Amino acid sequence: MRRGRRSLFPLVRHALLLAWTAVTLFPIYWMVMTSFKHAGEWVTWPPRWFPHEPTLVNYVKVLTPGTSTFELGRQTLKILKPIGDSLIVSGVGSLLAVVLGSALAYSWARFGTGGRNYPYNILSIRMVPPIVIAVPFVVYFVTLRLLDTYTGLILVYVATCLPYVIWMMLAFVEEVPVELERAARLMGASRLRVLRSVVLPLTASGLVVTFLFVFILNWSELLLAITLTNTEVSTLPITLNKFQSANEGRDYGPQAAIGTLATLPVVVMGFLIQKHLLRGFSFGLLRK
Amino acid sequence: MTGLRRWLERERVFRWLPFIPVQGLFALLLLPNFLLLVYLSLLSWRITRGTWWNAAFTGLDSFQRALEDERFLWALARTFGFAAAAVPLELLLGFGLALLCRRQFRGRRFYTTVFLLPMMIVPAVVGYDLSMLLIDQGPFNQLLSLLAGRAITVRWLSEYTPAQLAVIGADVWQWTALTFLIFTSGLAGLPEDPIRAARVMGASRWQIFWHVELPLLKPVIAIAVILRSMEALKIFDYPMLLTQAGPGNATETVAVYLWRVGWEFARVSDAAAMSLVLLVAVAMYSFVAIRVLRRERRRLAEEGVA
Amino acid sequence: MASIRLERLTKVFGATRAVDGIDLAIPDGEFVVLVGPSGCGKTTTLNMIAGLETPTSGDIWIGDACVTDWEPGERNLGMVFQSLALFPHMTVFDNIAFPLRIKRVAPEEIASRVRAVSDTVHVGHLLDKRPATLSGGEAQRVALVRTLVVQPSVFLMDEPLSSLDAKLRVEMRTELKRLHAALRSTFVYVTHDQAEAMTMADRIVVMHQGRIQQVGRPLEVYGDPVNRFVAGFFGVPAMNFVEGELQPEPDGARFMAQALRVTLPGHGGGSGPAVLGVRPEHVRFADGRESWPATVSLIEPLGDETLLFLDYGGPSSLVAKVDAEEKVAVGDRRSFTFRPDRVVLFDGTTGGRLCR
Repeated sequence: MRRGRRSLFPLVRHALLLAWTAVTLFPIYWMVMTSFKHAGEWVTWPPRWFPHEPTLVNYVKVLTPGTSTFELGRQTLKILKPIGDSLIVSGVGSLLAVVLGSALAYSWARFGTGGRNYPYNILSIRMVPPIVIAVPFVVYFVTLRLLDTYTGLILVYVATCLPYVIWMMLAFVEEVPVELERAARLMGASRLRVLRSVVLPLTASGLVVTFLFVFILNWSELLLAITLTNTEVSTLPITLNKFQSANEGRDYGPQAAIGTLATLPVVVMGFLIQKHLLRGFSFGLLRK
Repeated sequence: MTGLRRWLERERVFRWLPFIPVQGLFALLLLPNFLLLVYLSLLSWRITRGTWWNAAFTGLDSFQRALEDERFLWALARTFGFAAAAVPLELLLGFGLALLCRRQFRGRRFYTTVFLLPMMIVPAVVGYDLSMLLIDQGPFNQLLSLLAGRAITVRWLSEYTPAQLAVIGADVWQWTALTFLIFTSGLAGLPEDPIRAARVMGASRWQIFWHVELPLLKPVIAIAVILRSMEALKIFDYPMLLTQAGPGNATETVAVYLWRVGWEFARVSDAAAMSLVLLVAVAMYSFVAIRVLRRERRRLAEEGVA
Repeated sequence: MASIRLERLTKVFGATRAVDGIDLAIPDGEFVVLVGPSGCGKTTTLNMIAGLETPTSGDIWIGDACVTDWEPGERNLGMVFQSLALFPHMTVFDNIAFPLRIKRVAPEEIASRVRAVSDTVHVGHLLDKRPATLSGGEAQRVALVRTLVVQPSVFLMDEPLSSLDAKLRVEMRTELKRLHAALRSTFVYVTHDQAEAMTMADRIVVMHQGRIQQVGRPLEVYGDPVNRFVAGFFGVPAMNFVEGELQPEPDGARFMAQALRVTLPGHGGGSGPAVLGVRPEHVRFADGRESWPATVSLIEPLGDETLLFLDYGGPSSLVAKVDAEEKVAVGDRRSFTFRPDRVVLFDGTTGGRLCR
């Protein structure tokens, strides 16, 4: 009949949480540290937790313009082009997907277009392992001359992330009260006007979150990128993979630099949207 | 122009506008793709032997080869095994962390931010990063040595079981963040009053958790399981970058193997056939999963918030 | 023994004193209603009695025991929430049985007790249904039964009727009173609805800004309010307030505002700014010494009575409640007066009652 049991719990909680924090941060910490180490410090025994002579040479090496070359033993890695390629493909792909997907989510939410089960059917697209579609895609694209093009990869990315866009935007669209739209229409607004002046502003944050989320998704995508592009278009994950496999003599420094650079924008984006992720991720299953 | 505008305004027309490009995209991309997949699987074609429309039609030969291919079957088993190991771990960890972070306390914001970080990182980077950490003389082994008090060198990347553990570990490291996210929002959405009512009735913390909170969380658990298992079956990035599917075939997941068959060995038809087998396996699984999702959503609508 | 005593009970949230040192003694078996506007602290007080909130300071006694540190489950209370808090994933039977299952009562006994209690409140036919399929009134009853089944010594209710429509609300009010009469347990009931408080309470506790304004029987609180707030809280339409000056007279005092001159014989209230309060039913037409002219600006017929809005020159109209038979029209110029023994005076600055 007392409430004294509180005293021990916070300590235990912090201990557990700190443990997982350490687990989470350690690999990231290590990668960032390595990116600032020069070659002599990469692999030491005992490993150096902090570079004794921090340097930017890895970043310089990686960021100067030029094309990467991969050969066993000799490798130079440049990432300006891969970053550019990734930006184009992910940016355009995500944008297109968000525009189309939100419109579709709206249409389904308000009119039921596509049938009651449409969102579930769409989701099943996502269930298919990309490798399954990769094989015929290559053949298909070769025939259509879309192999190794920006357009080809963008189209594929749009198709693969549409399910997520639709599900996430559904949650946001359903939060807009229908009465607002009806009131606007009674005032004489056209449907397009209603979308522009009522729905868009109210779902703006949802749109941003969804965009950033699928951007991260597409930015990170490896398998389809490797299969469908490789030379003309070479996204960041492809470059990383090529480097890794061509590389028996582990060029850790520059690779850590790429890793850090590749991760940074995405982490920042993720940080911005984390609060809102919760809403979009409910798949309509969270009680309000 | 107003005639056209007027026509577009009609509900019957307007509602289909976004569907046209989307369904068109799917029809142009996915449908022929699938048909092509089926057709290719019925051929016996290698890229090196000319164009596919000239290749020999051999019917179900490729399927037979696929089902007899031990390496394929092992890859399939391995993939499901990885998922079976990783997903429950992620669920438990994510749920535990979400429970710990449930109430407001000092530093909570810090923890939630940190815990969500891993899922933002490019999986390829994670694979590469961990490969750096797990080398024989790497920092991870050193940490283990510190904790154990004696020198430990697990050869994570060059021995069978450790490599598999490493791949599973990579997945858990990155995706616990997602289950944490889902459970955090699930716990936050629990209605307060039934819990308070149970408290007044004298239910212990455990009884409340088991009889009230957990049943109410069923839909959330369903999403987490479905989402994660869907993605876990596809793992490709970690084996590729962490271990190059090695040592030997220790971490060769089905995605990696199929990729090799298609690209490195150029046996496209075989790859196509195996893909179909994989598709069937996954389809059965996802059919069940979607049924569950739909049922939980319906049940939620029925129960409402009483 | 299920009396309740609150001693200097305080709850502070950050910078807000939600409950500010209240003292209250509730005898066993009383139906007490905590009433006040939202934010006045009534729900917080109830939650502290329940044990769902820990007081910042002060003590709570139930019967002979000081329960301030006790867990909610140890206090043997029954509580009904505004949202009813039925477990949506359980059937009605399981909902009602839950408190018994927690206490590990044998299954056969659970079944018989649940059925017995359900029949007394007429929910026996609902036992297999789920909460979402129940109507508002049915859900209400189930929530009640769930508290009854453990036979608590005290019943706590947090605005349980506010989600019901008007007709159901009136029905449930009567049922609750009957239940109270049958059980003779202590009921602590929270509401913001003054009509509910008036009809149901043995005693009313009026709260405002975390403090108790007045405790008394319904008619006391209505007819003898201790300050302006309490006076204005009860009664529909609300009491009329006129701001003016109080001047001492040889035999009492006199209240003055605009054209009004009200003599108050025997009043010892001193002088200064004051507020005169008079309820609409005590404003009537009259001629004679203490009467003042006004124009009828609005008429609202209620059926059995009529509300008249009288413009007397003050900043707002006076509302008078008169018999429906009175022949009045908008624009009429008539004289009115107040029933002298029903006029109350409040201090102009503090709002406290100036006694006669």
